[in-house]
Amino acid sequence: MVTQRSRFPLAYRMLLPLAAVLLAVLVYPLVFSFWISLHDYQLTALQDVRFVGLRNYLELRGNGSFWNAMRNTLIFVFGAVTLETLLGFGLALLLHRPNRYRDFFRSILLTPMFITPIAVGLMFRFLLNQQLGVLPYLLGKLGVQIDFFGPGLALYSIILIDVWQWTPFMLLLLLAGLESLPAAPFEAARVDGASAWFTLRKVTLPLMKPVILVALIIRGLDAFKVFEYIFAITRGGPGESTESILYHIYKVGFRFFRLGEAAAMAYILILITMALVVVLYRAMRSAEELP
Amino acid sequence: MNRTLWKTLALTLLLALLVSACAAPAPPAAQAPTAGGEEATMEEVTLNVIMEEVPDYDIVAKLTAQFEADNPNIKVVFDAMPYDAMRDKILTSFLAPTATYDIIIVDNPWMDEFGNAGYLTPLDDYIAATPDYNYEDFVGPLREIGEVGGKVMGVPYYNYALGLIVRQDVFDEKGVAVPTTLDDYLQTVKDLTDKENEFYGAAMQPQRGYKIFEEWKNWLYGAGGDLLDDQGNVIINNEAGVRALDMYIDAYNNAAPPNSLNWGFDEALRAMAAGQAATMLSYNWMLPTLNSPDGPAGDLAGNFQLYEVPGGKAVLGSWHWAIPHNASNKDAAWKFISWITSPSVDKERVIMGGAPIRTSVITDPEVWEKGFGEHYYTTVLSILEDAEPLARGDHAEEIIEVVGTELNAAVAGQKSSQQALDDAAKQVEEILAR
Repeated sequence: MVTQRSRFPLAYRMLLPLAAVLLAVLVYPLVFSFWISLHDYQLTALQDVRFVGLRNYLELRGNGSFWNAMRNTLIFVFGAVTLETLLGFGLALLLHRPNRYRDFFRSILLTPMFITPIAVGLMFRFLLNQQLGVLPYLLGKLGVQIDFFGPGLALYSIILIDVWQWTPFMLLLLLAGLESLPAAPFEAARVDGASAWFTLRKVTLPLMKPVILVALIIRGLDAFKVFEYIFAITRGGPGESTESILYHIYKVGFRFFRLGEAAAMAYILILITMALVVVLYRAMRSAEELP
Repeated sequence: MNRTLWKTLALTLLLALLVSACAAPAPPAAQAPTAGGEEATMEEVTLNVIMEEVPDYDIVAKLTAQFEADNPNIKVVFDAMPYDAMRDKILTSFLAPTATYDIIIVDNPWMDEFGNAGYLTPLDDYIAATPDYNYEDFVGPLREIGEVGGKVMGVPYYNYALGLIVRQDVFDEKGVAVPTTLDDYLQTVKDLTDKENEFYGAAMQPQRGYKIFEEWKNWLYGAGGDLLDDQGNVIINNEAGVRALDMYIDAYNNAAPPNSLNWGFDEALRAMAAGQAATMLSYNWMLPTLNSPDGPAGDLAGNFQLYEVPGGKAVLGSWHWAIPHNASNKDAAWKFISWITSPSVDKERVIMGGAPIRTSVITDPEVWEKGFGEHYYTTVLSILEDAEPLARGDHAEEIIEVVGTELNAAVAGQKSSQQALDDAAKQVEEILAR
């Protein structure tokens, strides 16, 4: 008994339940979906599942719709996250100052984040609707006709909706970052007579860099998953101009039931996001080593 | 201590498994009281039915009280939901060891797919064993949708064939005849458009996917084209196809409300009801909705009239009742389906406003009188008799989506008509070759 115990100490045994749960809910689906991606696996032809090797992956090379969806998603992620970071940082700087109504402003500004995205999608669909929407009506009074979900504009309208909902998240993270900064460098800068702009560029930003990068990674990964606004508003249209990668995968997998292809697409998506995370993570490590 | 830990763990797991295993199947059948000694025991059965939340569902739900009163041992539980949630739910139910739903409704693009996959119960024997069911009475094109590989996999629930709905008062006032050809239709809707007063000739539904294809395929028929020829070759991008799409885009640009590229049938209906449009191609049963004094059209109610789509041949949509292969109460399920679709109950359903499916009901003067008048029903019958679904086969859903995406891109100006239809044809060929 003693030898057995030392070979398999209690600490590891305590980990077993968690390991079992992770195995069941994380590893098993991942391995299974990889297995699916190597097969011609259709939900309406389960008696005829054939091994096809890497065919599902190789065929993606010539799949214009898939790469178009990937391109839309990258434009969306880049546009939305950049705007959210800039706005969030600006708001965080404003809210960081002592102000009597600070708590009030904070709670007001955070509310969009607590609405479920599908509801936000439906809200804007009606708000910007040509027949029922308040905004097109008011703009119409001014003689301006804008089709928010028409060709050319739709993707950018969706970016702005995301900015409306998720800027508060950036604000929250960046504000927490600002409040945890050491006071000494700022006092030193003030004593040396540095201007506000100079302090922001040379003191605040370098100190905030690790926090900004973490915020970028979290928000960026989340933005890749954009689905609800598109499902609720445009269904990927006009044409394919707002089809995001997750909407595309959903369509192939759960509307057309071709799970093999959908799984291969999902794995390509994982690879691309992992590559982006590694790049950002490296940048973060070097930022931490600076001081 | 060591062993106790393992034992506890193992027990917990076992218990969890047991609980989940017990939760899955339907509650055990209870013994019903003996009814006058005629039937010794009657098993209590609960039928779970998946439904789409549409007006036709409300009518079925109302009628079902009668069925439950006649069959005290059968309880019918409806699970009504929006269209988008249905396809995944139905498929999950097929793949489960025991079906979640004893009765499902199947949209026409799914019929061949589900039927060929072996997910539906053939109904031929049930139909043959049901006296006075009169299966042949269902309008032919609707019947054909439910027949897969020579077997009946579903019986009609309601139709959603397209017709031309017009503002009769506007046509009468301007002395314009209701167009019967595609060229006339295009010219008429352009002539009726008065942009200054925000009145448009046609409220269209160019929304990407099903909606635009559903509307445009009527134009395609009108121009003499089709998706496939008799040999199954893709001909959507031939001369007739391009002409139909050019004309459709002409109408969108010159006779439809501005910025309506994302519109589906509900937006088009709203525009008609608000008096902003003179015509729309839409489901035939939109007419009673528009003409209802309590309906969305308000004071305009009564001014709308239904005609066949220009060119005559229309797009047919339909829902069918079906029984999943893994359903546990198939006999009771058929009892309900055959009751709700029986000639007498169907007549009641149509009088209450349900979309017609049986010839005998559509041609019944009592239905005309109690329903929406002779003109409506005879028009519906001529629409149904010359109508065809958007696409058939195992991949109909996908074909509709890719064609609908290309059409929408052409209307959005992202591609020329020829380019969009060539791209659509190429994708359809790839899908058919799978």
